[in-house]
This record gives sequence, structure tokens and C-alpha cells, in this order.
Amino acid sequence: MSDRVAITGVGVVSPCGLKKETFWANLKKCESFIDEVKRFDASLYPSRIAGQVHELDHYSHVSGRLVKKIDVFSHMALVASEQAIKDSGMDLEKIDKNRVGVFMGNAIGGWLFAETELRDMYIEGREGISPYMASAWFPAAPQGQVTIYYGFKGYSKTIVADKASSALSLWYGSKVVAQDKNDFVLAGGMEAPITPYALLSANTCGQLSKNNLNPKTAYKPYDLDRDGFVLGEGSGIVILEKESKAKKRGAPIYGFIKGIGFSSDGYHYLRYAPESDDLEYAIKECLKDAKWNKEDVDYICLDGEATVIGDYLETQALKNVFGENIKNIALSAPKSIYGNLLGAQSALDLIITLFSMKNSVVIPTINQLMNDPYCDLDYTPNKLKEKTINKALIIARGRGGINVVLAVEKK
Amino acid sequence: MELKKEVIELISKTLDINEDEVKADQKLYDSIGVDSTEMVELVVTFNKHFGVKIETNEITKFSTVNEIVDLIERKKQF
Repeated sequence: MSDRVAITGVGVVSPCGLKKETFWANLKKCESFIDEVKRFDASLYPSRIAGQVHELDHYSHVSGRLVKKIDVFSHMALVASEQAIKDSGMDLEKIDKNRVGVFMGNAIGGWLFAETELRDMYIEGREGISPYMASAWFPAAPQGQVTIYYGFKGYSKTIVADKASSALSLWYGSKVVAQDKNDFVLAGGMEAPITPYALLSANTCGQLSKNNLNPKTAYKPYDLDRDGFVLGEGSGIVILEKESKAKKRGAPIYGFIKGIGFSSDGYHYLRYAPESDDLEYAIKECLKDAKWNKEDVDYICLDGEATVIGDYLETQALKNVFGENIKNIALSAPKSIYGNLLGAQSALDLIITLFSMKNSVVIPTINQLMNDPYCDLDYTPNKLKEKTINKALIIARGRGGINVVLAVEKK
Repeated sequence: MELKKEVIELISKTLDINEDEVKADQKLYDSIGVDSTEMVELVVTFNKHFGVKIETNEITKFSTVNEIVDLIERKKQF
């Protein structure tokens, strides 16, 4: 068997926990962690509910001197990276830092810092703006901050691809490890869209739930009454390294990244194509890349956009690719519990899938109460389900039809 | 307040570090490891606080607190 890419450490900053243990324990409660946005006045926003991280400073190891210079999305990435490094047992004194890379994904960059500083510039003039504005807001900032913090100098990249950003960063990172360009890669994503401008901007896409009076039940993928997804913020980072090297140093192995499939709808800059062919192509390409038969898949972590068209197309794609066999595969969208983290989402989907494999349990899709005749699969509604999972797929779809499917296996 | 103490307080507050880390007779780079962007922030802070006009090339990360105090005193006389 070829030398696979192993996942040997995880770090989580999420609305339902800032440590892997808390994150998993809270997911198993199958309760919503979505609340009204109160950190600024969002009362006139069409969608003003979100999954929010409230205790970042409490869990942070980052100095006040550095926190002042960076946006919160970089701060989240630093906290998740520190957890992942410790979890993997990487010895920072012994490793060759020239062979450690950082592959990050996010969709929108760091707006809290940008909004504040641009306001100050227009009010106070040239000298009102922080000199750190230039390095704080842009999408590659977290990659830069993590590499600087630890002195990592290996080949690194940031990927921006809407809700598929971290799925692509995980794949890109795993390829670099497989090709032996780096010994270790920190891969994942971060997103902090709960700011006055970013939330307003996200509202204009028309995909967010406006069920503000019922934040706990607003995000309801595949439910007849669904009206869009709910935003979340956070970061997920994993450590990737070759299986042989991980075993040699006695590192814990959560699982392996086995393949990827991707495609683009090439139809519209925001909307999906009206048929599910392109998503089907991505799923088939992923199975081919992983050298799996469609009967091999035990679990699929779904995109679960909770829009009328998004959920329908995803359901159609699954039926068309897997046929009758889809009934033997567990399906769920655990992000319904804490919100959709956009560019960071797939990294958390990966971590949830790895924990599900380890514990042989499927985290459900919550808030699914009324069946939609066009979304008629078993999406594991509302309750945990026991299931032995060895092989899983993770689906991520960005706006305009950026389709990415990852294949992950346990053994 | 003594000018030197005031400058040290401003550096500490602006960069979020302890005052006792800032040594008056050492280069800022040696005592607290400032970088060039932090120096821009410090120059803007000094200009606002003391009502002077220091250019960013007049003090660098290799300046000491004592040199900065001298410069501010000279600028204030004009």
C-alpha cells in the first residue's frame, strides 16, 4: 500500500466549543448553538442570527501585543493551530521548519479590523489608520501569522473558494505532503463573518435564513420549511504528514485523506446550475481518485445549504451517483448545530467525520421536522445514530457551483 | 510628568507590553524587539500625544528611549 497522508492532530475554534473535547461533547447533545447577534446593532439586518465564538481570549495563548495587530480570523487560526500542533505531538525543537507548510482557506478575509480602520481613516485622515491594516485584513493573513509565529518556512498557500475554501486547502496540503515537498502541513480554514459589514454583505447573497425569531431552529437543511443557512465563525486546523513518518514517531492517527473530486458549474457567478451533473461529476471523480467503489462509502458529511435549490440538487446528485445503495450510507449535515463557517466549514466537517469514525456515531442533521418530497433521503434527523464508519466523503459547495468532494478513511 | 517616563508609558501602552521591559538606554530593537511597522505606530502616537511632527525616518528601531526623548524635546522648542 502506498504511503498515505495521515491526519495526526486537530484544533477547533467553533461556536460549540474551543477544544476538541468540548466540541465533540456539545455536538453529541444535538442542540443548536445559534443565537441572536448582539455584539453590534444588527436589528435591521434581514438575517441577524449566527453561531458565535464568545470566549476566544480565554482560550488564547497569543500575546496582547500580537492580538492588536491581527484580525480575529487570524487569532482564531493561531489558537486552532496551537491546539493541532500540541494534539499531534510535533516537537517544534526537533523538526525541520523548512519542511513545514501552512495551507489555509477562507472566503472573505478579516473584516472586523478592516471596517474599524477604514472608518478611522475617513474620520481622522491618513494618520488615523493602523499601519497593521495592510497586513491584517487580506485572506492570506492567517497563513502569514501562523508561519511567522512558529517560524515555519515550507511551501505554503492560501485558497479562496467561498464555502469550498478549506476543502481545497486540505487537498492542496495533502498533495504537498504526498509529493514529499513538506514533512508536515497545517491545513484547514478560518472565518470571522460576524461583523457589521461582513454580515451585511453575506445578507445580500440571499442564502441566509431570516427566521430571526427562532434562532435555535432556523438552520434546517432538507426540511420542507427551510429558508437558508445560518452563518457561523471559527477555525479548524489539522496536521497532515505521511503515514510512515507518523508511525515512526508514534503519532496518533485519526485517519487518512484519500482523494478529491472537484468541478465547477460554469453557469452563473452566484447561482448553481439547474441540474446536478457537475456535483455528480465531482463525487465520481473523488471515488475514482480514492480508488473506491460507490458501495465502499459508509458516511457522507453533507453540504446542507438549507436553500430550496441547494438541498434539492445535492439530493439529486447523491441519488444519481449512488442509486439504491444510498440507503446503506449514513448522511448528515452536522453544521446545522452551530452554523455554516463558509471557508472554514470543510475543516470542521473533516474533524467531525474523523471523530464520528473513531466513536462509530453519526452526528445528526438537526431541525429536520417536515419532510420535503424532493429531499427524501435519510439525512439522520435530530438524533445520534450508531454506525461503523471506515470510509467517508465530505461535500462542499461554493456559490456559483464550486464543487469539492473529499474522501477520508479511518484505517 | 518626566518626559522619559511619559515616553516609556506611551511605548508600553501602544505595544501592549510591560513598562519594565523598555530600557531607556537600549535600542528599542534590543530591549523589546520592535519591528518597523510598530515604529510607524509609535511615531504616530508620539506626534499625537506631544503635538510634534516627527518623520518616520527620524527615529528607527535602533533608537533608544533617551534619543527619542532628546528629539521630542528639540521638536517641542520649535
